[in-house]
Amino acid sequence: MSDYLLEIKNVSKLFHGLVAIDDLNMKVKKGQIYGIIGPNGAGKTTLFNCITGLYTPEKGDIIWKDKKINGIAPYKIAELGILRTFQTIRLFSEMSVAENIMSGRHIKSNQKWYNGIIHTPSMKKDEKYNWEKVGELMDFFELREHATTPAGDLSYGLQRRIEMARAIAAEPELLILDEPAAGLNENETIKLAQTIRKVRDRGVTILMIEHDMDMVMSLCEYITVINFGAKISEGEPSFVQDDPVVIEAYIGSDEDE
Amino acid sequence: MRQSYKIAIIFLIIMGFFPLVSNSAWLAVGTTFLIYSVVAFSQDIILGRAGAFQMGHAVFFGLGAYTTAILNVRFGIPIIYTFIPAIIIPLIMAIVLAGPIIHLKGDYLLVATIGFNIIFIQVVQNDIFGLTGGPNGIFGIDVVKIFGIEFMSQTAVYYMSFILLALTLLIMRNLDASKYGRAMFYINKDDIAAQSMGINIRYYKLYAFALGSAIAGAAGSMFAVQYSAVSPEAFNVVQSIMFFTIVLVGGSASLPGVLIGTFVMFVLPEIFREFATARYLVFGLAMILTMILRPRGIWPVKFGNIPKFLKKDAK
Repeated sequence: MSDYLLEIKNVSKLFHGLVAIDDLNMKVKKGQIYGIIGPNGAGKTTLFNCITGLYTPEKGDIIWKDKKINGIAPYKIAELGILRTFQTIRLFSEMSVAENIMSGRHIKSNQKWYNGIIHTPSMKKDEKYNWEKVGELMDFFELREHATTPAGDLSYGLQRRIEMARAIAAEPELLILDEPAAGLNENETIKLAQTIRKVRDRGVTILMIEHDMDMVMSLCEYITVINFGAKISEGEPSFVQDDPVVIEAYIGSDEDE
Repeated sequence: MRQSYKIAIIFLIIMGFFPLVSNSAWLAVGTTFLIYSVVAFSQDIILGRAGAFQMGHAVFFGLGAYTTAILNVRFGIPIIYTFIPAIIIPLIMAIVLAGPIIHLKGDYLLVATIGFNIIFIQVVQNDIFGLTGGPNGIFGIDVVKIFGIEFMSQTAVYYMSFILLALTLLIMRNLDASKYGRAMFYINKDDIAAQSMGINIRYYKLYAFALGSAIAGAAGSMFAVQYSAVSPEAFNVVQSIMFFTIVLVGGSASLPGVLIGTFVMFVLPEIFREFATARYLVFGLAMILTMILRPRGIWPVKFGNIPKFLKKDAK
């Protein structure tokens, strides 16, 4: 088995002939906090959607633990251990925080089809075990006091944390975070960075898109810079930060960062 | 215990005593109310929980009714043995019919299911294979006989319907507290998030269709027994619209809501029968006003169905 958990090999994605991702290569090591940066519209979220099965790339391969996973349905990607959060928070907003986190236990629960109609002792055990796991996660993410609150009623910072708790509930090997600090204030961002480190210390590899440069540079161990769908630079934060190509891309672009 | 379960139990107690104070005409209304409540709950599994816009639910209600009628009248099979086929046939038909269209969203699915309903009515009206009796339907369905005892009185039929509703409520409660019931809510509230959490949308939507149709089939069988006849107009698109509306007016995925919805949509028009067709004016107006004033239904669902030990530290 190779050293890499996830490999992006020559991946291209087109939308009606327009190139969103252009021949991209990337390798994520197990246990890494890996950052992807780039101006708006560079194709970062498109890449995440390709990895998680929402899009199928036209060219190239996405390799997960030495197996090709492009074109596989999103629910199967989750079963393989790749979970994600969304740039625009996607919680089940009318449902309570605990129920939201419980959705992460879906793939870990072994209830049978008839358990939707008739409850059995083994099913009740499974149900209890998974709710206890939800309890543990609410402790870990400091969400206990909000257990019964509808997720949509809570602050942006809390919602981001719930989304992460929900993904972690599925016990992923790779957690994909799409702009986790977007819309957060400074305190919430600091708290988020701590949470991300704590999650990594549980053994979860992290792949994230982020615009908050302070956070990316302090948190990520390896960074890939994308512009117009293509990789323009990669390396450790100190290298990427001083790379003239990167500076050019940011200053030269119309987008303000 | 959750508030909605308490309400369901109080409701069952009241309905359990209803035949003691009711005359024959109202007992008939009561029986149909129980049966329609079962159909409404089965519609709610598909529409209120899984969020699939099923506008042809009368097809599966009708399949159950016609299965019992055909097996009994055409083949002489005792009613009691027709119950199981009346559940299995709608279940299989639901998977066969909904399978190819399950990926359709909202309004597209709605139109496709109306199509099913129109075809179903055409088929039964044309007396297919000489089995369905054409526009007049099938008459002379037997009474239920168990161990030689005939359950032919109106009260007996009422209590059989009552047991069916009680069983349905039990299934609804079990569904709510299971992986399957929750998966339906997740799909309904955000399908992209749901599939990213590992939920196979197609599977759980089909599960909802299969379960909902099986329950509707059981209700259909009981409906055939109550009227000892079946005819096409009891299962046409208008009936499907009624079941669809019951769920939305009452409150999607809400046990008290669906019961209130069935009461408002079926029993109230019976109470105001003396006003003849004028009552439908008020009735239509009530539907419009409910949607404007209470868009989530008269008694909206309350989420937060979580174990006690998780609630105790919550604010």
